[in-house]
Amino acid sequence: MAIEIQDLNVYIKDAHILKNLSVTIPEKQITCIIGPSGCGKSTLLRTLNRLIDSTDGVRLEGKVLVDGTDIISSGPEITELRRKIGLVSQRPCPLPMSIFDNVAYGCRINKMYKRHRDLENAVHENLRAVGLWDEVRGRVRTPAARLSIGQQQRLCLARSLAVEPQYILADEATSALDPISSKTVEDLFVSLKNNYTIIMVTHTLRQALRIADNVVFMYLGEIIESGPAQQVFKNPKQELTQKYLSGAFS
Amino acid sequence: MVNNRIVKDRLAQGVMFSLTIIAILFVVVMAMGLYLKSSPVLEGRSLFSLLTSSVWKPMKGEFGFLPFIVGTLWVTFLAILISFPISFLTAIYLTEYARPVVRRFVFPALDILAALPSVIYGVWGMLVIVPWISNHVAPHFMEFSSGYTVLAAGIVLGVMVIPLLVSLFIEVFTSVPAELREASLALGATRWQTTKKVVLRKTLAGLLAAVVLAISRAMGETIAVLMVCGCVIGIPSNILESCYPIPALIANNYGEMLSMPLYESALMFAALILFAVVLIFNLLSRIILYRIERREE
Repeated sequence: MAIEIQDLNVYIKDAHILKNLSVTIPEKQITCIIGPSGCGKSTLLRTLNRLIDSTDGVRLEGKVLVDGTDIISSGPEITELRRKIGLVSQRPCPLPMSIFDNVAYGCRINKMYKRHRDLENAVHENLRAVGLWDEVRGRVRTPAARLSIGQQQRLCLARSLAVEPQYILADEATSALDPISSKTVEDLFVSLKNNYTIIMVTHTLRQALRIADNVVFMYLGEIIESGPAQQVFKNPKQELTQKYLSGAFS
Repeated sequence: MVNNRIVKDRLAQGVMFSLTIIAILFVVVMAMGLYLKSSPVLEGRSLFSLLTSSVWKPMKGEFGFLPFIVGTLWVTFLAILISFPISFLTAIYLTEYARPVVRRFVFPALDILAALPSVIYGVWGMLVIVPWISNHVAPHFMEFSSGYTVLAAGIVLGVMVIPLLVSLFIEVFTSVPAELREASLALGATRWQTTKKVVLRKTLAGLLAAVVLAISRAMGETIAVLMVCGCVIGIPSNILESCYPIPALIANNYGEMLSMPLYESALMFAALILFAVVLIFNLLSRIILYRIERREE
């Protein structure tokens, strides 16, 4: 199922942050949101899982249909929504507990497994899915904070996957990582797209070039252009997009 | 010019370093002063008997500090028992749930409460809490109570500690990065689940430090407690009896009977006990904090 954004407007106090956004995000592909700093990429991402609710003085208008349900008008019943939409943030944020408990956290919160055995299997499986299992087996009960930054980011991804989401939001998920970890995480996203719809905010154009199936180019709170990556990168229709892609501004 | 700037920087550093040392030295000098002053009462009496005897007859040279120590501990314990749950939940509400507008009004109000002179709390205790205990609480359990009790002191002190504890807790909770809460929320957790499993876990050490600081402050609080505790020498067997905490003993008697050198010395020893209790308490909490932090990393 896709995400359909219709005439989305976001205001924070008096500022009009996102202006009349309309775009469809196709399923089981990687959609990269690109654009210069302050264009509203992260705000859009935070709107999609309603984390934006915690911002002071925020007002949302329009529709965001996730599996056909409008999440803007669905009130405070958002825990179920958030479970469906995983989030990987810019800096890895392990919870203050062991590696195992980090991955198990969401499963326990959502009461996904009755038997401990099943939970254990799920945790191990998700650690394997992000390529962390071989690195941490034998010490899954030690604090997650002891992992390297790159490992922590993969752990955060495993934690998101453990609650079986359909969508994954990634907010510059590789920008805090060293080149090798960055490559590992990037490859992971590519391998995950067969099963998940991935929406990625990225600051580096090269990354978008490498992995995007679709591209949404934003500028000052508006969507300037969107479409399949090949088309947007090779034949941008808008002058602003051309300028951005050619590096006239960043 | 460049040299001049560097000299100034060095000079500033030197001055600040000296001031820091002086501030620390104050504590050491005070402890030594208390010890020297209290040495007369320590002569010929064992430390053990001073701390465990409950006979207090200054005229006969008998000094048993147990009633005062027990009184201090009772009142402090009760105060923390009362203030902890209230402060804890208030701080959670304000940091995790309340809208910023609410915070903008409540924070200054807390500061005002914290800044109220303790004598005002004492007067409030005498006018409201003491009669309430005497007329409405005590009659259920005993024939007569003046109301000047451990309970009254505990309530007054507890209320006094609340603003301090709330602002300490708030400081601890706000030290948790927003991303950590969001990581939990993004997995489908509710705010309460996030608070319970992530925020509290992350802040355990800080919360403990806050409580210890509040206890230290509560143990030393003098005037408000003195006004409502009854100041009767004896070990209270329940919270509806009077008590006589150490600070009240010192404040009430110091300067009155200085014609008796031994009595003055005894009061100094009382101060030393208070000093030592607070010090030991803080050291213990440091050790626990260190353990918790090491476990986290």
